[in-house]
Amino acid sequence: MLAMDIRNLNKKYPNFELKDVSFQLEKGYIMGFIGANGAGKTTTIKSILNMIHIDGGEVHILGKNIAEHEIELKQEIGYAFGGSDFYTRSKLKTLTDVVKKFYTNWNDETYRSYLRRFKLDENKKIAELSTGMKVKYSLALALSHGAKLLVLDEPTSGLDPVARVDLLEIFQELVLDGEISILFSTHITSDLEKCADFITFIDNGQIIASAEKHGFMESYRLLSGSESQLEQVKEHLISYKINSFGFTGLIHAKDFDPSSDIKAATPSLEEIMIYYAKKVDAHV
Amino acid sequence: MYNLVMKDLKLGINPWFLVFPFFINALMLVPGWIYFILPLYFCWITVPNMLGGFRSQNDLIFTTMMPVTKKDIVKARVTVIGIMELLHLATAMIYGIFTLYLYPNLTYYFFAPHMGFWGLCFVMLAIFNLVLIPMYYKTAYKYGGAMVASITATILFAGIAQWVGIQSPFVSDIFNGSGADNTLLQLSILIAGIVIFVACTIIAYRIAVKRFMKVEIL
Repeated sequence: MLAMDIRNLNKKYPNFELKDVSFQLEKGYIMGFIGANGAGKTTTIKSILNMIHIDGGEVHILGKNIAEHEIELKQEIGYAFGGSDFYTRSKLKTLTDVVKKFYTNWNDETYRSYLRRFKLDENKKIAELSTGMKVKYSLALALSHGAKLLVLDEPTSGLDPVARVDLLEIFQELVLDGEISILFSTHITSDLEKCADFITFIDNGQIIASAEKHGFMESYRLLSGSESQLEQVKEHLISYKINSFGFTGLIHAKDFDPSSDIKAATPSLEEIMIYYAKKVDAHV
Repeated sequence: MYNLVMKDLKLGINPWFLVFPFFINALMLVPGWIYFILPLYFCWITVPNMLGGFRSQNDLIFTTMMPVTKKDIVKARVTVIGIMELLHLATAMIYGIFTLYLYPNLTYYFFAPHMGFWGLCFVMLAIFNLVLIPMYYKTAYKYGGAMVASITATILFAGIAQWVGIQSPFVSDIFNGSGADNTLLQLSILIAGIVIFVACTIIAYRIAVKRFMKVEIL
């Protein structure tokens, strides 16, 4: 079953456009949603959650169209938006008491167990929590109302490596029983290399690829060779840079002849993102 | 809807503004004062502070992420503004009763705090809501322009009403003269004021919902 099915999402702004954004997330998996700043990650997420009006396309969550079943579906979606704070001078206790009233499946026992597990003190104010603890608090709220889909917008940005790894492990545990699915937007690609099952890559408002993580990385080759070798592959390269040793460039695996003597390696997610960003720069 | 109203009262509005009417409206005890100013304090102080609080606490995003309809978001907020207005007027009216008993022989230059006057106050807040709420919901967070327009409209109403009340012997007689002892007349003005208040607030709510539906939550 699909936890999320996005089809041909379109949204036009004066200076930016989401073009035919489509991707699917299977239930019980973590999907990393990557792209540079301003690539359209948050706009896509806000379109999915019906927070902005889309010009075209359809969003189905857990098999239902969000435009028609928004309230019902929001009971099953949990959020953590890194960087947005709400009522920071209120105590966790006060905020939880207000929030829980909105959810029919709220479970106080689950909430208590997550507070203990995440070492959250209910009497603290939101402003007193570290960035990582804030994400954990959002997770505790989401999981206590039985969210089946977690939409996390940059949840690990601004966290130190220890806190990041800790959160990533939590995400992996959450999807273990196959009930919960996670859409996780980030520009910290190393996080996804550790925990994502699928990768959706957005660049300049368009989905470049949405695939299983290893398959996605394997579908590219990072080439390095001399300047003379560059000429052989130049027209197929997504982008390249020239350095004192020759060149390095990104190419679709299907456009590369493995028998060639150019050195080829599987790129990291970060390298794929960087070379795509260079491609856009080259066209500006 | 109820949960959203409670959210505003518990989280969004500083408790001070729930107590504030009991302090500010004690000014009703000043004999012969221009009492129209007291409901205006609500417009000048409480409302911009409330709306500023919602904005600085990112209430809009917080609320939209909950399983609630956009219509209910507006309905709850308008209800909360209405509750605050009623709290403000009710406390002022209670102080007004004391004023009438404390100074029974006072000659009022401005409107005396009889029921008819409170009817006018309801009309004033009706105008305030009718201008403020639809303008505010063009964005649901910018409130400067909406405040200037709604406050100007209410001050104009209060100024004109009070001026007519002084200049016209007929109106003056209704509110401060022999009409003040006519309970039926006073009560009908009050009820008419309340009806206008409710009608204008409902109209304001309907326009606001239409506008808020088009708002993108950024």
